[in-house]
Amino acid sequence: MRIRRAKQDDLGAVTDLIVRTKRLNNEFDPLFAVVADARARAEKHVLASMGAADKLLLVAVDGQKVVGVLRAELRERLFYEPHEEGFITDFYILPEHRRKALGNEMIQRASAELKQMGAQIIVADVPARNEIANRFYSKRGFRSLTSLVGKSP
Amino acid sequence: MSRRQAALKAHRSTPDRPAKRTQIPEAGRHSHLPEPKEESSRKALVYSKFYGGKVAMAPKVPVRSLDDFSIWYTPGVAAVSKAIEADPDLSFEYTGRWNTVAVVTDGSRVLGLGNIGPEGALPVMEGKALIYNYLGGVNAIPLPIRVGTEDELISFVRALEPSVGGVNLEDIESPKCFDVLERLRSEMNVPVWHDDQQGTAGVTLAALFNALELTGRKLRGSRIVLFGAGAANIAAERLLVRAGANPKDLIVLDSKGILHPEREDMDRLMLRNRWKHDIALRTNGDRVSGGLKEALKGADALVAAAGQGPEMIKPGEIAVMSKKAITFFLANPVPEMLPPAARAAGAEVIATGRSDYPNQVNNSLLFPAIFRGALDVRAKTITDTMVIDAAMQLAAFAREKGISKNYIIPTMVQWEVYPRVAASVGQAAVKEGVARRRLSRKESLSVATEMIENSRKVMNSLRRNGIILDPPA
Repeated sequence: MRIRRAKQDDLGAVTDLIVRTKRLNNEFDPLFAVVADARARAEKHVLASMGAADKLLLVAVDGQKVVGVLRAELRERLFYEPHEEGFITDFYILPEHRRKALGNEMIQRASAELKQMGAQIIVADVPARNEIANRFYSKRGFRSLTSLVGKSP
Repeated sequence: MSRRQAALKAHRSTPDRPAKRTQIPEAGRHSHLPEPKEESSRKALVYSKFYGGKVAMAPKVPVRSLDDFSIWYTPGVAAVSKAIEADPDLSFEYTGRWNTVAVVTDGSRVLGLGNIGPEGALPVMEGKALIYNYLGGVNAIPLPIRVGTEDELISFVRALEPSVGGVNLEDIESPKCFDVLERLRSEMNVPVWHDDQQGTAGVTLAALFNALELTGRKLRGSRIVLFGAGAANIAAERLLVRAGANPKDLIVLDSKGILHPEREDMDRLMLRNRWKHDIALRTNGDRVSGGLKEALKGADALVAAAGQGPEMIKPGEIAVMSKKAITFFLANPVPEMLPPAARAAGAEVIATGRSDYPNQVNNSLLFPAIFRGALDVRAKTITDTMVIDAAMQLAAFAREKGISKNYIIPTMVQWEVYPRVAASVGQAAVKEGVARRRLSRKESLSVATEMIENSRKVMNSLRRNGIILDPPA
């Protein structure tokens, strides 16, 4: 298993995994209903992330096959210190490659790279009801910083 | 006087008014042709009303005079209570606990009828209790219950433990039934059995053993397709692997198609049905995707427990299987495909859940014997090994009689099979270290034979003495 930056060739596979992430989110809350053209949007999102200085797109590969993806971006915290955050927007590993410490490796690699890019803290966005993801992060020293609340009007 | 009144009167009949004697065929040994469904439905309604219930608690100690109650009840009984208080396992010696099984359901998936509620489930549980009694000599109590949640169901069953030697869960919807069984099995010190999982899977395994033998195959290396991912096939997958099948040679399909590690809904399955999720990860080594036809290409055996036929499976799908294909169509009352159609499409060995075709894969072949054997050794649980040993014994019995493509599994009238299977279960329990009482195979066989024969004697005696009347026309 190898972790590296995503390449142009990975576009299709990475896009698929990003769409899976969004579908997974929907399992936790109906307010994450996935749009019909999710794949096309995901592809644009992935393309825009490739090679951008303030974006990080990592893939885990097993042989030739992409089995995991982590996307993050640098964001400025306008009113707070530390000022620069590395914000993990998408993180997904295919089911059969879970529970083998790959997630841990990817997070560590992402943290290191984001730090080099200037990030002073690392944050991640996960559905409040995704207990698996929340447990994953809290085991690794992350704590809940804000709480995004929502309802239908 | 109505028949019902007559029946009640017969219960009170005094020696000067002898009850009507009835001519009784030797119980269980005569085979009968199944009746059309409408006829059995009509009779079921008429008879059920006539008898007002199929089973009842009956005394098993003599009441010679009212004085005996000072032994069976207070004050004498207090000594027994104190002894059990000091050693709760003595409840298996001093009371009927050792032979008592609760047949519990929440009514959430009754037969093919769906969620019909606990009252609707009661006649089914009574029938189950009757089979336990007649074929297994087990004192089974029908207990459909009204519960709102899975936790309530679990806590009810757990609370029953002091009174029972085992629990038979019945007709609980999937996937709830997996979680309920798994939790209760780990938390209770008496066997908890879910017949729709372990029973159906066990009998399927027995039939499959002989079908493989008959067609010159070994379990290891055979490609087996499980069509339908409900209670029966989820348990069948586990038992097959425990019995020696290579999980990579198994393919399991649900209503959305073949399960494989990259199916789109894997995350949903992880959260909603982890059993299917785990099966998708460990089976299907070739990563076949698609539908039944893709799964069956070159397959040796098909076990369908998927839904009502008769054309759910098409001849073209069977035709792509390997030569001498084994096909089981287990949906009741209408198999996924009818045997003549499967035969025409090239299937060699065909089994269904029905009694009017050869090779009936019927839970009743197993559960009375499983519990008979488990209860006789006061087992703490029923392990998968016990179920596999039972299946092997069931298969061995048929092999001794001579298997053919129309006889791969014993029939219910071959009642000698029950004590033999019970003895195998008892021995497996002893070997697995889950028996409270260590019996030899010979002892197990003799206790089981006596218990089962005794039940038949009680039935014959009740009928001869007019306490159980023949049904109305």
